[in-house]
Amino acid sequence: MQAATADTLSDELAKGSEKKRLSRLERRRIAEDWAFILPQLIVFIFLTIVPFFVAIPILFTDMAQFNDPRINPVGLRNFTALFTDPSVQRDYLPALRRTIIFVVLNYTTVYIFGLSLALLMYEVGFRGGFFTVVYLPLMVSGLAVGYMAVMLFSRETGTANLLLLELGLIKEPFDLYSAEGTAFILPLLVGWRYAGYNMAIFLSGLLAIPQETIEAAIVDGTNYWQRLTRVYFPQMWPSFILATTMCLIGSFAVFDELVAMGALYVNPEAKLLSILFFTYGFQVERLAMGMTLAVMTFLPLVFVGIALQRLQRRLQY
Amino acid sequence: MASNALTQPQLDKGPVFTVGRRRTLLRIFALLVMVIYTLLTLFPFYALFVRSFVPTKESADLHLWLPEVQEVSMSAEVGNLAVFYDLDLTDMKEVLGIPPTEFIMARTSLAEVAEDYNIPEEEIKKFFAGFYRYNGWNTLLLGDLYGTTFWGALFRSLLVTAVSLVILITLSIFTGYGLAGLRRRDQMAVYNIYLLQMVIPAMLILLPQYQLLQWIFNIFPAYADKGLTRWGLQLLAIVLINIKGTALSTMIFTAAISAIPKDLEDSAMIDGASRLQYVRYILFPLLKVPIVSLVVIYMPLIYNQFLEPYVYLDPANATLLPFTQSAVGQFSTNFQVIYSAIFASVVPMIIVYLLFRRLFVQGVMAGAIKG
Repeated sequence: MQAATADTLSDELAKGSEKKRLSRLERRRIAEDWAFILPQLIVFIFLTIVPFFVAIPILFTDMAQFNDPRINPVGLRNFTALFTDPSVQRDYLPALRRTIIFVVLNYTTVYIFGLSLALLMYEVGFRGGFFTVVYLPLMVSGLAVGYMAVMLFSRETGTANLLLLELGLIKEPFDLYSAEGTAFILPLLVGWRYAGYNMAIFLSGLLAIPQETIEAAIVDGTNYWQRLTRVYFPQMWPSFILATTMCLIGSFAVFDELVAMGALYVNPEAKLLSILFFTYGFQVERLAMGMTLAVMTFLPLVFVGIALQRLQRRLQY
Repeated sequence: MASNALTQPQLDKGPVFTVGRRRTLLRIFALLVMVIYTLLTLFPFYALFVRSFVPTKESADLHLWLPEVQEVSMSAEVGNLAVFYDLDLTDMKEVLGIPPTEFIMARTSLAEVAEDYNIPEEEIKKFFAGFYRYNGWNTLLLGDLYGTTFWGALFRSLLVTAVSLVILITLSIFTGYGLAGLRRRDQMAVYNIYLLQMVIPAMLILLPQYQLLQWIFNIFPAYADKGLTRWGLQLLAIVLINIKGTALSTMIFTAAISAIPKDLEDSAMIDGASRLQYVRYILFPLLKVPIVSLVVIYMPLIYNQFLEPYVYLDPANATLLPFTQSAVGQFSTNFQVIYSAIFASVVPMIIVYLLFRRLFVQGVMAGAIKG
């Protein structure tokens, strides 16, 4: 008992003296570290964290536009509007439905393009030339990809439509501006654009797998499918989680492609949630409502994202 | 024994043969997939290039090659040419020697113009040579729109990209150096704050961020008027958003700088270098790989940025993509101009990519391992 107390005492003494001894050098070091950290951190906090605090008071008002001269408090009305106000429901619910369909389809393209191409590349050996081609669409803006969709799949004038009709491969042209057209063509093109990015994520996961585990599985006489599900995938969890996080956050925030497909004016089928928030903020003078809906939609996502990040880090180390 | 020796090689040959054939089949299959994927990827770019030369009136025909140069029809009406092909009437009057004060009715055909003003048909045809084929490019590259031109917008895009990248890299190296090792609790906290960026969608903070910057800009009285101050501040907003640091930039540099032996810093300190000098002269040259990673990942992102410039910049001050979008709004009936504008916005980045494709591939793979 006494020994223990003495131990802790001496421990504390040691710590105290260490603190004192290190204090001048170490404090100077910490101060200098902060001098290096601060310039970017100030900009980051100012543009990423502060906006949350700017938004909080606005959420409880009827602020209609930026620099609105007359602002009245409305309590929780913006939050309940989603459940009580038919005009908001009419805008929000179809946009939510389209967004969820898009997220699901877009998430499948992560695997259809990204994972398949990564496996192909892994099995036949890294090909720089092919990588260049797969990564090429990422050099193109989302806006241009959206206009490419318009150019290829407009009902009357789309080049792909005209070509496929000419070759006799389709009877009816695709129509980008129909509900199904937008729902399927959009994720296809977004998946194509991000194929190189997702391929890089999965490929780096594959390359990190210890070669012995694969050789052992081959010696044991496994077929390819068994090797995929029992050897490759379990060792690639961090890649899967990273791809999922990026896809989830990215698809909810998809905007540029939609603008190109006419979402702001002519094509109501392309009105996803991001377009709705933008319209409320900049076009129809429902700024506070738009902010509230954005917070209600995205804040849960942020927490899901944080959870995924933690999971990824735990699996990595 | 002898029979054994005879059969043994045959037994061995069997499986070797099939494995070899399966391997060849796999290779052929893989090659096929790669070729098809390559063709499908390149097709939209090619189609876009062709479509930028296809006159709008022929949009409903399939063109797989540049359309032939057509002579302008003398029965074409001036009004239609002005609306669908953005014919500049002032320009036409000047070249054809028609007094600028003359008013030409929209329904007047070119034949009637020739008759009314005594202009030989040849001269009109000469003025309209290549009119249909190059209509999109002429309108885009020579015209102006909402007080700016394509070249002005391109210049601003390149300027914002270059300035943003240089500052982003400098600040991110500082951040990585300040956080290197992640030994203390305060360093870990800052690191985690940056990780948040990855899960915060730009759309979530766009509206309050815009409000915040408007409050600050309105402090400057000159912001209310069109002019250098207003445009400078708007471009500054874009640069600030680009340099604020991201999860990726922080992860890349923190990891890279943590991996550099501490002895190097100690010996530099003993030689009397300040920490800033250490960063400039010793750290910076050692960080080529992460810097290339960051550049190849962020250059296309910044160059292709649309949402923020669209929101923050006046049309007269637009970068390339908002400019393209306003061109689409302005020439909504002239597909040719639209596709020319899209193609022109894509080309610069593609050229950079193809020139430095080796760096891109290496940088992206290095970045993916960190991310």
